[in-house]
Amino acid sequence: MNRRRLLQTIAASPALLPAQQVNPSPDESAVLKADSPDAAGEPVRRFFSPAQFATLGALAERIAPSIGGRPGAKEAEAAAFLDFLLASSPRSRQGLYQRGLDSLDRAARARYQKGFAELGGAEADALLAPLKTKWTYTAPADPQAAFLRAAKADILRATANSRAAAEANAAGRRRATGLNPYWHVID
Amino acid sequence: MAKFDHDVVIIGSGASGGMAAYVLAQAGVKCLMLEAGPMVDFTRHRSLKAVYDLPFRGFGEPGRFPHITQASEFDANLWIDEKKNPYSHPENDPYYWVRIRLLGGKTLRWGRASWRLSDYEFKCKDHDGWGENWPISLADLAPFYDRVEPLIRVSGRNEGWAQMPDGKLLADESVDSLSIQRFNASARKLGVPTTKPRRATGTLASSVNLLLPVAQATGNLTIVPNAIVRELGVDPKTGLVNAVHYIDRRSRREYTVPAKVLLLGASTLESARLLLNSKSRQFPTGLANTSGVLGRYLFDQFYVKNTVTALVPEARGGKGPRNLMGGAGYVPRFTNLKPGKPEKNYLRGWAWDFGSGGTPSPDLFPQWGAELAQTMADVQGAGFAMTTMGESLPRYEHRITIHPTLRDDWGIPAPHIEQRYTENEHNMAKDAMETGVALCQGAGFEVLAAHAQMVPPGESIHELGTCRMGADPKKSVLNAYNQAHDVRNLFVLDGGAFPSGGVQNPTLTIMALTMRASEYLMEQKKQGKI
Repeated sequence: MNRRRLLQTIAASPALLPAQQVNPSPDESAVLKADSPDAAGEPVRRFFSPAQFATLGALAERIAPSIGGRPGAKEAEAAAFLDFLLASSPRSRQGLYQRGLDSLDRAARARYQKGFAELGGAEADALLAPLKTKWTYTAPADPQAAFLRAAKADILRATANSRAAAEANAAGRRRATGLNPYWHVID
Repeated sequence: MAKFDHDVVIIGSGASGGMAAYVLAQAGVKCLMLEAGPMVDFTRHRSLKAVYDLPFRGFGEPGRFPHITQASEFDANLWIDEKKNPYSHPENDPYYWVRIRLLGGKTLRWGRASWRLSDYEFKCKDHDGWGENWPISLADLAPFYDRVEPLIRVSGRNEGWAQMPDGKLLADESVDSLSIQRFNASARKLGVPTTKPRRATGTLASSVNLLLPVAQATGNLTIVPNAIVRELGVDPKTGLVNAVHYIDRRSRREYTVPAKVLLLGASTLESARLLLNSKSRQFPTGLANTSGVLGRYLFDQFYVKNTVTALVPEARGGKGPRNLMGGAGYVPRFTNLKPGKPEKNYLRGWAWDFGSGGTPSPDLFPQWGAELAQTMADVQGAGFAMTTMGESLPRYEHRITIHPTLRDDWGIPAPHIEQRYTENEHNMAKDAMETGVALCQGAGFEVLAAHAQMVPPGESIHELGTCRMGADPKKSVLNAYNQAHDVRNLFVLDGGAFPSGGVQNPTLTIMALTMRASEYLMEQKKQGKI
């Protein structure tokens, strides 16, 4: 659990109130609250190399920075999620990402003599120029443009669908947001 | 031996199976319904979840649905398991077979758009010389449309247009938003008709809430879920269907039930697959296939999703009056309506769904970071989008056959599906895109993106043909009442019966045809002909 999440959990906890007396009935079931796995532990990286992961993290921050206090890709742990997602994705998708990240880092070293993760904002943005290509229905023929387009969409989605984004959306509202009907296994 | 004395066996529980049970059970006919999938309990099987609580943050499990693009991580468990239910297609001609195997079938997820077919479809060959006419006309089916529309509570607006027949509708008299009004005015200038959407009301409007409860309340309907039908048996003396062989989905135990009358509504491709898998001495190439066209003339309606995405400039930044954005509309087919030589470089035509008030995808903007965030805030709710739905032509070579070795998880031979879009469909999609751009520009909208890339065949979930009806038994499988020419106690009620399909969503017509066929069946029984 990261520090921000820990503080949120403490703030929301009624632990300082006196414990209420509970007398469970031995005949009735109870409804207990639970949380998802990523509320407790740090995810284990299993797909990208350390260099690729660093490049992806830097790329994610350029694509979806934190703006005006709203969480960006970093707060959403988008890179860690994409490492998990790519680990079980089709090989073509894995290759697109691995080649794309390697190429981005190589371009940074050739142009600036340092890795992409170490670049300043303007330097990094210069290497993202293929994203300025006009949208077409099919993926761009240039592999780097195709990678950047795919990564942009995935980073934005992984950020928007994160717990951090949901909590920011819900802040100050009376109703929970982002809830949808989920279909369980039907058998 | 049957466990109870049923008059008919119905295979499938969706639009056609549900309607057959609705009509027949209320008329006192004892119905046994076999459904390949389980029952759905909306209370037990559905709950609210946040997207971040899903294992894949809403992306879905990679590779789980190679062909079902409609599946989200929220509803993944509604769609069929593609690994257990495989099929094949030519390597370079993908076919996206989208299935639901649950009680209620695809009516659990249908878009509810409900348009009547017109005589431009029923008598298409008379109009432009291509394909085959239906053996019925609008006048034959109109009385049944009249009864189905109120049953599923279709709302819309009657316009008196021949290509979009009027219906028994809940009148949609809502005022269009200003952006829709502007689009409609732009369309009028180019002679393009626009109208309100026509859609079954309610959030479900399914077989499981509108049809099956009524049928079951009569005491004349027995539903057996998890019954995967493997083959139909034929009486060697009479050539009639006399048995249904099915497998329990969970235990894999095999069963046989006798059939006096068989009503097949398993969906276009499943019904054809079952008939092709039911070979006998009388029907060595598949049940009811003396014509040789069983499985052939597969077609659908092609979709170009978001063929035009535009912005309403006055709505940027949340500005503009409150009634500027929102709402939706429909453009019926308007090309090649004059008889004879087509006015375009293609036959037939297309329709559009259009809607106002969405937010365009960030993919469309060549930006990132703070600049993109600013743009997305600016265009929120300012979008206008159009989707093309075009007629595809039924062709002899487009078909379903049985794969020589591929089997499903229950050992049943799996299908091989061949359909591709041809020059006619490609020309139509291009014309639709160019016309759509012109209409949006005429309305003063800012066009962000336009394309004419059709989704693969099958993805519209409007698969039709394979058991087409016709007047000539040598060129069709069914007669004008969905009854097999070869086997008088066999009816195919789903989309397989369609000889052509126009651009209209087919479910309403499937239900109307089924109502008509079911009443014909009762009349035939009264006369002792079945």
